Amino acid sequence: MKSVRAFETYHPLTLFAFFACALVICMFTLHPVLLAVCYLSGVGFYGMLAGRRKLAASLARSIPLTVLIAAVNPLFVHRGETPLFFLNDNAVTLEAILYGAAAAVMLMSVFYWFKCYNEVMTSDKFIYLFGRVLPKLSLILSMALRFVSRFKRQYREIDDAQRAMGMYASKSLTDRLRSAFRVFSALITWSLENSIETADSMRARGYGLRGRTSYNNFFWRRRDGFMLAFIVLTAGAVIALLSAGRAGFGYYPTVTPIGFSVYDLLCYGALTVLLFMTVLLEMKEAVRWRYSLSKI
Amino acid sequence: MDKALLKKTIAFIVILALIPAVIALGVVLFRDRRFNIISIAVALLACVPFFLFFEKKQTKARELVVIAVMVALSAVGRLIFIGIPGFKPLAAIVIITGLAFGAEAGFLTGSLSAVLSNIFFGQGPWTPFQMFVWGILGFAAGLFYRRQAAKTWPALIVWGIASGAAFSLLMDIWTVFSLDGGWNWARYWTALIAGLPYTAIYMGSNVLFLLLLFKPISKKLERVKVKYMLFDYGETRGKE
Repeated sequence: MKSVRAFETYHPLTLFAFFACALVICMFTLHPVLLAVCYLSGVGFYGMLAGRRKLAASLARSIPLTVLIAAVNPLFVHRGETPLFFLNDNAVTLEAILYGAAAAVMLMSVFYWFKCYNEVMTSDKFIYLFGRVLPKLSLILSMALRFVSRFKRQYREIDDAQRAMGMYASKSLTDRLRSAFRVFSALITWSLENSIETADSMRARGYGLRGRTSYNNFFWRRRDGFMLAFIVLTAGAVIALLSAGRAGFGYYPTVTPIGFSVYDLLCYGALTVLLFMTVLLEMKEAVRWRYSLSKI
Repeated sequence: MDKALLKKTIAFIVILALIPAVIALGVVLFRDRRFNIISIAVALLACVPFFLFFEKKQTKARELVVIAVMVALSAVGRLIFIGIPGFKPLAAIVIITGLAFGAEAGFLTGSLSAVLSNIFFGQGPWTPFQMFVWGILGFAAGLFYRRQAAKTWPALIVWGIASGAAFSLLMDIWTVFSLDGGWNWARYWTALIAGLPYTAIYMGSNVLFLLLLFKPISKKLERVKVKYMLFDYGETRGKE
Protein backbone atom coordinates (compact mmCIF):
# COMPACT_ATOMS: atom_id res chain seq x y z
CA MET A 1 0.00 0.00 0.00
CA LYS A 2 1.99 2.96 -1.23
CA SER A 3 -0.94 5.25 -1.79
CA VAL A 4 -0.15 7.55 1.08
CA ARG A 5 2.90 9.66 1.15
CA ALA A 6 3.47 12.70 3.26
CA PHE A 7 6.78 14.25 2.39
CA GLU A 8 6.23 14.50 -1.34
CA THR A 9 3.25 16.81 -0.86
CA TYR A 10 5.55 19.68 0.04
CA HIS A 11 6.45 22.35 -2.47
CA PRO A 12 9.13 21.33 -5.04
CA LEU A 13 11.49 24.02 -3.78
CA THR A 14 11.31 22.67 -0.23
CA LEU A 15 11.84 19.14 -1.44
CA PHE A 16 14.76 20.07 -3.66
CA ALA A 17 16.43 22.03 -0.87
CA PHE A 18 16.07 19.03 1.38
CA PHE A 19 17.60 16.57 -1.06
CA ALA A 20 20.43 18.92 -2.00
CA CYS A 21 21.34 19.28 1.70
CA ALA A 22 20.97 15.58 2.43
CA LEU A 23 23.12 14.51 -0.50
CA VAL A 24 25.85 17.06 0.12
CA ILE A 25 26.08 16.09 3.79
CA CYS A 26 26.11 12.38 2.87
CA MET A 27 29.05 12.90 0.54
CA PHE A 28 30.73 15.20 3.01
CA THR A 29 31.60 13.05 5.95
CA LEU A 30 33.18 9.75 6.90
CA HIS A 31 32.45 10.15 10.61
CA PRO A 32 30.98 6.82 11.81
CA VAL A 33 28.04 8.33 13.71
CA LEU A 34 27.08 10.68 10.89
CA LEU A 35 27.52 7.90 8.36
CA ALA A 36 25.24 5.64 10.33
CA VAL A 37 22.61 8.38 10.48
CA CYS A 38 22.86 9.04 6.74
CA TYR A 39 22.73 5.38 5.81
CA LEU A 40 19.94 4.28 8.17
CA SER A 41 17.74 7.26 7.38
CA GLY A 42 18.27 6.81 3.64
CA VAL A 43 17.47 3.12 3.78
CA GLY A 44 14.54 3.74 6.12
CA PHE A 45 13.03 6.47 3.99
CA TYR A 46 13.43 4.38 0.84
CA GLY A 47 11.74 1.52 2.64
CA MET A 48 8.82 3.75 3.58
CA LEU A 49 8.50 4.98 0.00
CA ALA A 50 9.05 1.81 -1.99
CA GLY A 51 7.76 -0.83 0.37
CA ARG A 52 9.43 -3.66 2.21
CA ARG A 53 9.79 -6.03 -0.71
CA LYS A 54 11.61 -3.57 -2.96
CA LEU A 55 13.82 -2.51 -0.09
CA ALA A 56 14.78 -6.11 0.67
CA ALA A 57 15.60 -6.76 -2.98
CA SER A 58 17.82 -3.72 -3.21
CA LEU A 59 19.55 -4.46 0.09
CA ALA A 60 20.29 -7.98 -1.09
CA ARG A 61 22.22 -6.43 -3.96
CA SER A 62 23.82 -3.50 -2.17
CA ILE A 63 25.10 -5.14 1.02
CA PRO A 64 27.44 -7.63 -0.71
CA LEU A 65 28.78 -4.74 -2.79
CA THR A 66 29.42 -2.72 0.36
CA VAL A 67 31.34 -5.61 1.91
CA LEU A 68 33.32 -6.08 -1.27
CA ILE A 69 34.37 -2.43 -1.44
CA ALA A 70 35.47 -2.55 2.21
CA ALA A 71 37.41 -5.80 1.71
CA VAL A 72 39.18 -4.57 -1.39
CA ASN A 73 40.35 -1.25 0.07
CA PRO A 74 43.53 -2.61 1.79
CA LEU A 75 44.81 -3.68 -1.64
CA PHE A 76 45.01 -0.02 -2.64
CA VAL A 77 45.94 1.59 0.63
CA HIS A 78 48.76 0.45 2.88
CA ARG A 79 48.50 3.19 5.46
CA GLY A 80 47.51 2.49 9.04
CA GLU A 81 49.38 1.16 12.04
CA THR A 82 47.60 -2.08 12.84
CA PRO A 83 48.64 -4.75 10.33
CA LEU A 84 46.34 -7.76 10.43
CA PHE A 85 48.33 -9.91 8.01
CA PHE A 86 50.60 -9.56 5.03
CA LEU A 87 49.67 -10.14 1.42
CA ASN A 88 52.54 -10.14 -1.11
CA ASP A 89 54.69 -8.24 1.39
CA ASN A 90 52.04 -5.58 1.74
CA ALA A 91 50.39 -5.03 5.09
CA VAL A 92 46.63 -5.39 5.22
CA THR A 93 45.77 -2.93 7.95
CA LEU A 94 42.74 -2.67 10.17
CA GLU A 95 42.54 1.05 9.43
CA ALA A 96 42.40 0.49 5.70
CA ILE A 97 39.53 -1.98 6.10
CA LEU A 98 37.61 0.37 8.38
CA TYR A 99 38.19 3.27 6.01
CA GLY A 100 37.01 1.14 3.10
CA ALA A 101 33.89 0.18 5.03
CA ALA A 102 33.18 3.81 5.83
CA ALA A 103 33.66 4.90 2.21
CA ALA A 104 31.43 2.06 1.02
CA VAL A 105 28.66 2.96 3.47
CA MET A 106 28.99 6.57 2.36
CA LEU A 107 28.55 5.56 -1.28
CA MET A 108 25.54 3.44 -0.41
CA SER A 109 23.85 6.17 1.55
CA VAL A 110 24.32 8.48 -1.42
CA PHE A 111 22.70 5.84 -3.63
CA TYR A 112 19.79 5.33 -1.26
CA TRP A 113 19.17 9.04 -0.93
CA PHE A 114 19.20 9.30 -4.71
CA LYS A 115 16.67 6.48 -4.84
CA CYS A 116 14.46 8.48 -2.48
CA TYR A 117 15.01 11.55 -4.64
CA ASN A 118 13.81 9.60 -7.67
CA GLU A 119 10.68 8.54 -5.81
CA VAL A 120 9.83 11.98 -4.47
CA MET A 121 11.11 14.52 -7.00
CA THR A 122 9.03 13.47 -9.98
CA SER A 123 9.74 15.05 -13.33
CA ASP A 124 6.85 17.52 -13.10
CA LYS A 125 8.30 18.94 -9.89
CA PHE A 126 11.78 19.14 -11.33
CA ILE A 127 10.58 20.88 -14.47
CA TYR A 128 8.40 23.27 -12.49
CA LEU A 129 11.34 24.21 -10.32
CA PHE A 130 13.79 24.81 -13.14
CA GLY A 131 11.16 26.37 -15.38
CA ARG A 132 11.67 29.58 -13.47
CA VAL A 133 15.44 29.70 -13.80
CA LEU A 134 15.84 28.04 -17.18
CA PRO A 135 12.48 28.34 -18.95
CA LYS A 136 13.61 27.24 -22.41
CA LEU A 137 15.50 24.19 -21.22
CA SER A 138 12.61 23.13 -19.04
CA LEU A 139 10.27 23.54 -21.96
CA ILE A 140 12.49 21.29 -24.10
CA LEU A 141 12.62 18.77 -21.29
CA SER A 142 8.89 18.68 -20.73
CA MET A 143 8.22 18.38 -24.45
CA ALA A 144 10.77 15.59 -24.66
CA LEU A 145 9.05 13.83 -21.76
CA ARG A 146 5.79 13.95 -23.62
CA PHE A 147 7.47 12.79 -26.81
CA VAL A 148 8.94 9.74 -25.13
CA SER A 149 5.57 8.14 -24.49
CA ARG A 150 4.31 9.24 -27.89
CA PHE A 151 7.35 7.83 -29.66
CA LYS A 152 7.14 4.58 -27.75
CA ARG A 153 3.58 4.09 -28.91
CA GLN A 154 4.52 5.01 -32.48
CA TYR A 155 7.48 2.64 -32.32
CA ARG A 156 5.18 -0.20 -31.40
CA GLU A 157 2.83 0.69 -34.24
CA ILE A 158 5.60 0.73 -36.84
CA ASP A 159 6.98 -2.48 -35.39
CA ASP A 160 3.59 -4.19 -35.61
CA ALA A 161 3.19 -3.07 -39.20
CA GLN A 162 6.61 -4.45 -40.09
CA ARG A 163 5.83 -7.75 -38.45
CA ALA A 164 2.47 -7.97 -40.13
CA MET A 165 4.31 -7.73 -43.42
CA GLY A 166 6.26 -10.79 -42.33
CA MET A 167 9.59 -9.10 -41.67
CA TYR A 168 12.06 -10.20 -39.03
CA ALA A 169 10.04 -13.07 -37.69
CA SER A 170 13.02 -14.92 -36.22
CA LYS A 171 14.35 -14.23 -32.76
CA SER A 172 18.05 -14.23 -33.65
CA LEU A 173 20.18 -11.35 -32.43
CA THR A 174 20.97 -10.01 -35.90
CA ASP A 175 17.34 -10.03 -36.88
CA ARG A 176 16.34 -8.32 -33.67
CA LEU A 177 19.01 -5.69 -34.20
CA ARG A 178 18.13 -5.12 -37.83
CA SER A 179 14.47 -4.75 -37.15
CA ALA A 180 15.18 -2.37 -34.26
CA PHE A 181 17.35 -0.24 -36.54
CA ARG A 182 14.83 -0.20 -39.32
CA VAL A 183 11.91 0.72 -37.11
CA PHE A 184 13.96 3.28 -35.23
CA SER A 185 14.88 4.94 -38.50
CA ALA A 186 11.25 5.14 -39.56
CA LEU A 187 10.38 6.54 -36.15
CA ILE A 188 12.89 9.35 -36.54
CA THR A 189 11.40 10.50 -39.83
CA TRP A 190 7.92 10.42 -38.39
CA SER A 191 8.83 12.26 -35.21
CA LEU A 192 10.78 15.06 -36.90
CA GLU A 193 7.99 15.82 -39.36
CA ASN A 194 5.36 15.64 -36.65
CA SER A 195 7.21 17.87 -34.26
CA ILE A 196 7.20 20.78 -36.69
CA GLU A 197 3.46 20.76 -36.36
CA THR A 198 3.82 21.08 -32.60
CA ALA A 199 6.14 24.03 -33.08
CA ASP A 200 3.81 25.80 -35.46
CA SER A 201 0.94 25.35 -33.07
CA MET A 202 3.09 26.79 -30.28
CA ARG A 203 3.84 29.83 -32.38
CA ALA A 204 0.20 30.26 -33.30
CA ARG A 205 -0.64 30.34 -29.61
CA GLY A 206 1.90 33.04 -28.98
CA TYR A 207 4.95 31.22 -27.73
CA GLY A 208 7.66 33.72 -26.80
CA LEU A 209 5.32 36.69 -26.62
CA ARG A 210 5.28 38.71 -23.46
CA GLY A 211 2.64 38.44 -20.81
CA ARG A 212 1.79 34.80 -21.25
CA THR A 213 0.98 32.92 -18.09
CA SER A 214 1.55 29.28 -17.46
CA TYR A 215 -0.32 26.55 -15.66
CA ASN A 216 0.85 25.93 -12.16
CA ASN A 217 -0.07 23.05 -9.96
CA PHE A 218 2.17 23.80 -7.01
CA PHE A 219 1.40 26.25 -4.26
CA TRP A 220 3.61 27.58 -1.54
CA ARG A 221 1.92 26.98 1.79
CA ARG A 222 2.83 28.10 5.24
CA ARG A 223 4.11 24.69 6.22
CA ASP A 224 6.59 24.93 3.33
CA GLY A 225 8.03 28.02 4.93
CA PHE A 226 8.39 26.23 8.26
CA MET A 227 9.85 23.16 6.62
CA LEU A 228 12.35 25.18 4.60
CA ALA A 229 13.41 27.12 7.69
CA PHE A 230 13.85 23.82 9.52
CA ILE A 231 15.97 22.39 6.70
CA VAL A 232 18.13 25.50 6.42
CA LEU A 233 18.66 25.62 10.18
CA THR A 234 19.56 22.00 10.76
CA ALA A 235 21.56 21.49 7.56
CA GLY A 236 23.27 24.84 8.08
CA ALA A 237 24.22 23.82 11.60
CA VAL A 238 25.64 20.50 10.45
CA ILE A 239 27.63 22.02 7.60
CA ALA A 240 28.88 24.91 9.75
CA LEU A 241 30.00 22.55 12.53
CA LEU A 242 31.69 20.22 10.05
CA SER A 243 33.47 23.08 8.29
CA ALA A 244 34.66 24.34 11.67
CA GLY A 245 36.31 20.98 12.20
CA ARG A 246 33.77 19.65 14.71
CA ALA A 247 32.74 16.01 14.55
CA GLY A 248 36.04 15.35 12.87
CA PHE A 249 37.30 11.83 12.47
CA GLY A 250 40.50 10.30 11.13
CA TYR A 251 41.30 6.77 9.99
CA TYR A 252 45.05 7.05 9.40
CA PRO A 253 47.48 6.30 10.92
CA THR A 254 45.19 5.11 13.69
CA VAL A 255 41.46 5.38 14.09
CA THR A 256 40.61 8.36 16.29
CA PRO A 257 38.02 8.03 19.06
CA ILE A 258 34.50 9.29 18.43
CA GLY A 259 34.06 12.73 19.98
CA PHE A 260 31.25 13.45 22.43
CA SER A 261 31.77 17.15 23.13
CA VAL A 262 28.77 19.47 23.12
CA TYR A 263 29.51 20.56 19.55
CA ASP A 264 29.88 16.99 18.36
CA LEU A 265 26.58 15.99 19.95
CA LEU A 266 24.94 19.05 18.44
CA CYS A 267 26.16 17.98 15.02
CA TYR A 268 24.91 14.40 15.42
CA GLY A 269 21.60 15.63 16.76
CA ALA A 270 20.99 18.16 14.00
CA LEU A 271 21.67 15.60 11.28
CA THR A 272 19.49 12.98 12.94
CA VAL A 273 16.59 15.40 13.25
CA LEU A 274 17.01 16.59 9.66
CA LEU A 275 17.17 13.20 7.98
CA PHE A 276 14.85 11.14 10.17
CA MET A 277 12.21 13.84 9.91
CA THR A 278 11.26 12.30 6.56
CA VAL A 279 10.88 8.82 7.99
CA LEU A 280 8.77 10.14 10.87
CA LEU A 281 6.53 12.09 8.51
CA GLU A 282 5.89 8.99 6.43
CA MET A 283 5.24 6.89 9.52
CA LYS A 284 2.77 9.42 10.88
CA GLU A 285 0.95 9.45 7.55
CA ALA A 286 0.88 5.66 7.38
CA VAL A 287 -0.61 5.46 10.87
CA ARG A 288 -3.21 8.07 10.04
CA TRP A 289 -4.08 6.25 6.84
CA ARG A 290 -4.52 2.98 8.63
CA TYR A 291 -6.61 4.66 11.28
CA SER A 292 -8.92 6.26 8.74
CA LEU A 293 -9.22 2.96 6.89
CA SER A 294 -10.23 1.23 10.10
CA LYS A 295 -13.12 3.67 10.46
CA ILE A 296 -14.62 2.74 7.10
CA MET B 1 34.63 41.78 -32.33
CA ASP B 2 31.06 42.98 -32.04
CA LYS B 3 29.48 43.89 -28.76
CA ALA B 4 27.29 40.85 -28.31
CA LEU B 5 30.18 38.49 -28.88
CA LEU B 6 32.35 40.45 -26.46
CA LYS B 7 29.67 40.23 -23.80
CA LYS B 8 29.32 36.53 -24.44
CA THR B 9 33.05 36.00 -24.13
CA ILE B 10 33.28 37.95 -20.88
CA ALA B 11 30.40 36.01 -19.36
CA PHE B 12 32.01 32.77 -20.47
CA ILE B 13 35.31 33.69 -18.82
CA VAL B 14 33.57 34.73 -15.60
CA ILE B 15 31.76 31.41 -15.37
CA LEU B 16 34.90 29.49 -16.25
CA ALA B 17 36.69 31.35 -13.45
CA LEU B 18 33.96 30.15 -11.08
CA ILE B 19 35.09 26.55 -11.49
CA PRO B 20 38.59 26.98 -9.99
CA ALA B 21 36.97 29.21 -7.37
CA VAL B 22 34.71 26.34 -6.34
CA ILE B 23 37.67 24.00 -6.14
CA ALA B 24 39.65 26.48 -4.05
CA LEU B 25 36.71 27.09 -1.73
CA GLY B 26 36.15 23.38 -1.42
CA VAL B 27 39.75 22.73 -0.49
CA VAL B 28 39.76 25.50 2.09
CA LEU B 29 36.34 24.71 3.52
CA PHE B 30 36.33 20.92 3.47
CA ARG B 31 39.45 19.98 5.29
CA ASP B 32 38.99 16.26 4.93
CA ARG B 33 39.21 16.71 1.17
CA ARG B 34 35.77 15.81 -0.08
CA PHE B 35 36.72 16.07 -3.72
CA ASN B 36 33.71 14.00 -4.73
CA ILE B 37 31.37 16.92 -3.96
CA ILE B 38 33.70 19.33 -5.67
CA SER B 39 33.92 17.21 -8.80
CA ILE B 40 30.13 17.03 -9.05
CA ALA B 41 29.88 20.79 -8.55
CA VAL B 42 32.47 21.34 -11.27
CA ALA B 43 30.67 19.05 -13.73
CA LEU B 44 27.42 20.93 -13.12
CA LEU B 45 29.02 24.37 -13.29
CA ALA B 46 30.69 23.49 -16.56
CA CYS B 47 27.23 23.09 -18.10
CA VAL B 48 25.96 26.42 -16.79
CA PRO B 49 27.54 28.76 -19.39
CA PHE B 50 26.05 26.74 -22.24
CA PHE B 51 22.63 26.77 -20.62
CA LEU B 52 22.69 30.47 -19.88
CA PHE B 53 23.68 31.46 -23.42
CA PHE B 54 20.92 29.40 -24.82
CA GLU B 55 18.41 30.97 -22.45
CA LYS B 56 19.54 34.49 -23.33
CA LYS B 57 19.36 34.29 -27.09
CA GLN B 58 16.39 34.16 -29.40
CA THR B 59 15.39 30.69 -30.52
CA LYS B 60 12.71 29.66 -32.94
CA ALA B 61 9.96 27.45 -31.60
CA ARG B 62 10.79 24.95 -34.33
CA GLU B 63 14.37 24.67 -33.18
CA LEU B 64 13.26 24.06 -29.61
CA VAL B 65 10.94 21.30 -30.71
CA VAL B 66 13.51 19.64 -32.94
CA ILE B 67 15.99 19.56 -30.05
CA ALA B 68 13.25 18.11 -27.84
CA VAL B 69 12.68 15.41 -30.46
CA MET B 70 16.34 14.48 -30.52
CA VAL B 71 16.43 14.37 -26.71
CA ALA B 72 13.35 12.15 -26.64
CA LEU B 73 14.73 9.91 -29.39
CA SER B 74 17.90 9.28 -27.46
CA ALA B 75 15.88 8.17 -24.44
CA VAL B 76 13.52 6.06 -26.55
CA GLY B 77 16.51 4.55 -28.30
CA ARG B 78 17.82 3.44 -24.95
CA LEU B 79 14.45 1.83 -24.24
CA ILE B 80 14.23 0.18 -27.66
CA PHE B 81 17.62 -1.49 -27.39
CA ILE B 82 17.17 -2.36 -23.71
CA GLY B 83 17.05 -6.07 -24.53
CA ILE B 84 20.59 -6.01 -25.90
CA PRO B 85 23.01 -5.31 -23.02
CA GLY B 86 25.32 -2.33 -23.42
CA PHE B 87 23.55 -1.11 -26.55
CA LYS B 88 22.60 2.52 -26.15
CA PRO B 89 22.30 4.76 -29.17
CA LEU B 90 22.39 7.86 -26.98
CA ALA B 91 25.96 8.95 -27.68
CA ALA B 92 25.57 8.24 -31.39
CA ILE B 93 22.43 10.35 -31.61
CA VAL B 94 24.09 13.18 -29.72
CA ILE B 95 27.10 13.15 -32.06
CA ILE B 96 24.96 12.97 -35.17
CA THR B 97 22.86 15.87 -33.90
CA GLY B 98 25.99 17.92 -33.22
CA LEU B 99 27.38 17.19 -36.68
CA ALA B 100 24.10 18.16 -38.32
CA PHE B 101 22.84 21.07 -36.21
CA GLY B 102 25.98 22.62 -34.74
CA ALA B 103 27.68 22.89 -31.38
CA GLU B 104 24.93 24.48 -29.31
CA ALA B 105 22.24 22.03 -30.38
CA GLY B 106 24.74 19.24 -29.81
CA PHE B 107 25.48 20.33 -26.27
CA LEU B 108 21.83 20.74 -25.38
CA THR B 109 20.85 17.41 -26.87
CA GLY B 110 23.64 15.67 -24.98
CA SER B 111 23.13 17.19 -21.57
CA LEU B 112 19.33 17.14 -21.64
CA SER B 113 19.35 13.54 -22.86
CA ALA B 114 21.29 12.67 -19.74
CA VAL B 115 18.66 14.31 -17.54
CA LEU B 116 15.75 12.82 -19.45
CA SER B 117 16.93 9.26 -19.72
CA ASN B 118 17.79 9.32 -16.03
CA ILE B 119 14.21 10.33 -15.30
CA PHE B 120 13.39 6.83 -16.54
CA PHE B 121 16.47 4.97 -15.37
CA GLY B 122 17.12 6.78 -12.09
CA GLN B 123 19.06 9.93 -11.25
CA GLY B 124 22.27 9.43 -9.36
CA PRO B 125 25.69 10.93 -8.78
CA TRP B 126 26.36 10.01 -12.40
CA THR B 127 23.80 12.49 -13.75
CA PRO B 128 26.02 15.62 -13.67
CA PHE B 129 28.91 13.72 -15.26
CA GLN B 130 26.69 12.35 -18.00
CA MET B 131 25.28 15.82 -18.60
CA PHE B 132 28.78 17.16 -18.99
CA VAL B 133 30.27 14.29 -21.02
CA TRP B 134 27.42 13.91 -23.48
CA GLY B 135 27.03 17.67 -23.73
CA ILE B 136 30.69 18.17 -24.55
CA LEU B 137 30.53 15.30 -27.05
CA GLY B 138 27.68 16.97 -28.88
CA PHE B 139 29.49 20.28 -28.65
CA ALA B 140 32.73 18.84 -30.01
CA ALA B 141 30.88 17.17 -32.86
CA GLY B 142 29.17 20.48 -33.56
CA LEU B 143 32.49 22.23 -33.96
CA PHE B 144 33.10 20.06 -37.02
CA TYR B 145 29.72 20.59 -38.46
CA ARG B 146 30.90 22.05 -41.72
CA ARG B 147 33.83 19.66 -42.15
CA GLN B 148 33.09 16.75 -44.44
CA ALA B 149 36.18 14.93 -43.11
CA ALA B 150 34.49 14.56 -39.69
CA LYS B 151 31.65 12.66 -41.32
CA THR B 152 33.61 9.90 -43.08
CA TRP B 153 33.62 6.41 -41.62
CA PRO B 154 37.15 6.49 -40.08
CA ALA B 155 36.16 9.68 -38.28
CA LEU B 156 32.93 8.08 -37.14
CA ILE B 157 34.89 5.19 -35.65
CA VAL B 158 37.04 7.66 -33.73
CA TRP B 159 33.92 9.47 -32.50
CA GLY B 160 32.43 6.18 -31.34
CA ILE B 161 35.51 5.05 -29.45
CA ALA B 162 36.07 8.46 -27.88
CA SER B 163 32.46 8.71 -26.75
CA GLY B 164 32.57 5.22 -25.27
CA ALA B 165 35.73 5.92 -23.30
CA ALA B 166 34.94 9.47 -22.21
CA PHE B 167 32.21 8.59 -19.78
CA SER B 168 34.02 5.91 -17.79
CA LEU B 169 37.22 7.98 -17.75
CA LEU B 170 35.35 10.80 -16.09
CA MET B 171 32.94 8.85 -13.91
CA ASP B 172 35.74 6.82 -12.37
CA ILE B 173 37.36 10.05 -11.22
CA TRP B 174 34.34 10.49 -9.00
CA THR B 175 34.54 6.87 -7.86
CA VAL B 176 38.16 7.36 -6.82
CA PHE B 177 37.41 10.61 -5.03
CA SER B 178 34.53 8.97 -3.20
CA LEU B 179 36.49 5.97 -2.06
CA ASP B 180 39.81 7.62 -1.33
CA GLY B 181 39.06 11.22 -0.52
CA GLY B 182 42.08 12.12 -2.59
CA TRP B 183 43.63 10.88 -5.79
CA ASN B 184 44.86 7.30 -6.18
CA TRP B 185 46.15 6.15 -9.56
CA ALA B 186 46.08 2.44 -8.65
CA ARG B 187 42.39 2.69 -7.77
CA TYR B 188 41.65 4.64 -10.92
CA TRP B 189 43.28 2.05 -13.16
CA THR B 190 41.56 -0.79 -11.34
CA ALA B 191 38.19 0.91 -11.67
CA LEU B 192 38.83 1.41 -15.38
CA ILE B 193 39.97 -2.18 -15.88
CA ALA B 194 37.06 -3.56 -13.86
CA GLY B 195 34.72 -1.60 -16.09
CA LEU B 196 36.60 -2.55 -19.25
CA PRO B 197 34.24 -5.25 -20.59
CA TYR B 198 31.35 -2.87 -20.21
CA THR B 199 33.27 0.03 -21.71
CA ALA B 200 34.37 -2.15 -24.62
CA ILE B 201 30.79 -3.15 -25.44
CA TYR B 202 29.80 0.47 -25.12
CA MET B 203 32.55 1.62 -27.50
CA GLY B 204 31.74 -1.13 -29.97
CA SER B 205 28.04 -0.39 -29.92
CA ASN B 206 28.73 3.32 -30.33
CA VAL B 207 30.84 2.65 -33.41
CA LEU B 208 28.20 0.33 -34.76
CA PHE B 209 25.40 2.80 -34.11
CA LEU B 210 27.34 5.64 -35.68
CA LEU B 211 28.21 3.66 -38.79
CA LEU B 212 24.69 2.37 -39.23
CA LEU B 213 22.71 5.42 -38.15
CA PHE B 214 24.86 8.28 -39.35
CA LYS B 215 23.79 8.30 -42.98
CA PRO B 216 20.05 7.79 -42.56
CA ILE B 217 19.66 10.10 -39.56
CA SER B 218 21.82 12.93 -40.81
CA LYS B 219 20.02 12.82 -44.13
CA LYS B 220 16.77 13.31 -42.25
CA LEU B 221 18.18 16.06 -40.06
CA GLU B 222 19.66 17.89 -43.05
CA ARG B 223 16.33 17.66 -44.77
CA VAL B 224 14.46 19.15 -41.83
CA LYS B 225 17.10 21.84 -41.47
CA VAL B 226 16.81 22.88 -45.10
CA LYS B 227 13.07 22.54 -45.33
CA TYR B 228 12.28 24.61 -42.26
CA MET B 229 15.40 26.79 -42.28
CA LEU B 230 16.58 25.80 -38.85
CA PHE B 231 19.85 26.40 -37.03
CA ASP B 232 21.19 29.32 -39.07
CA TYR B 233 20.67 27.44 -42.30
CA GLY B 234 18.94 30.45 -43.81
CA GLU B 235 21.73 32.82 -42.85
CA THR B 236 24.64 30.76 -44.05
CA ARG B 237 23.08 29.56 -47.25
CA GLY B 238 24.08 32.66 -49.19
CA LYS B 239 27.64 32.67 -47.93
CA GLU B 240 28.64 29.17 -48.87
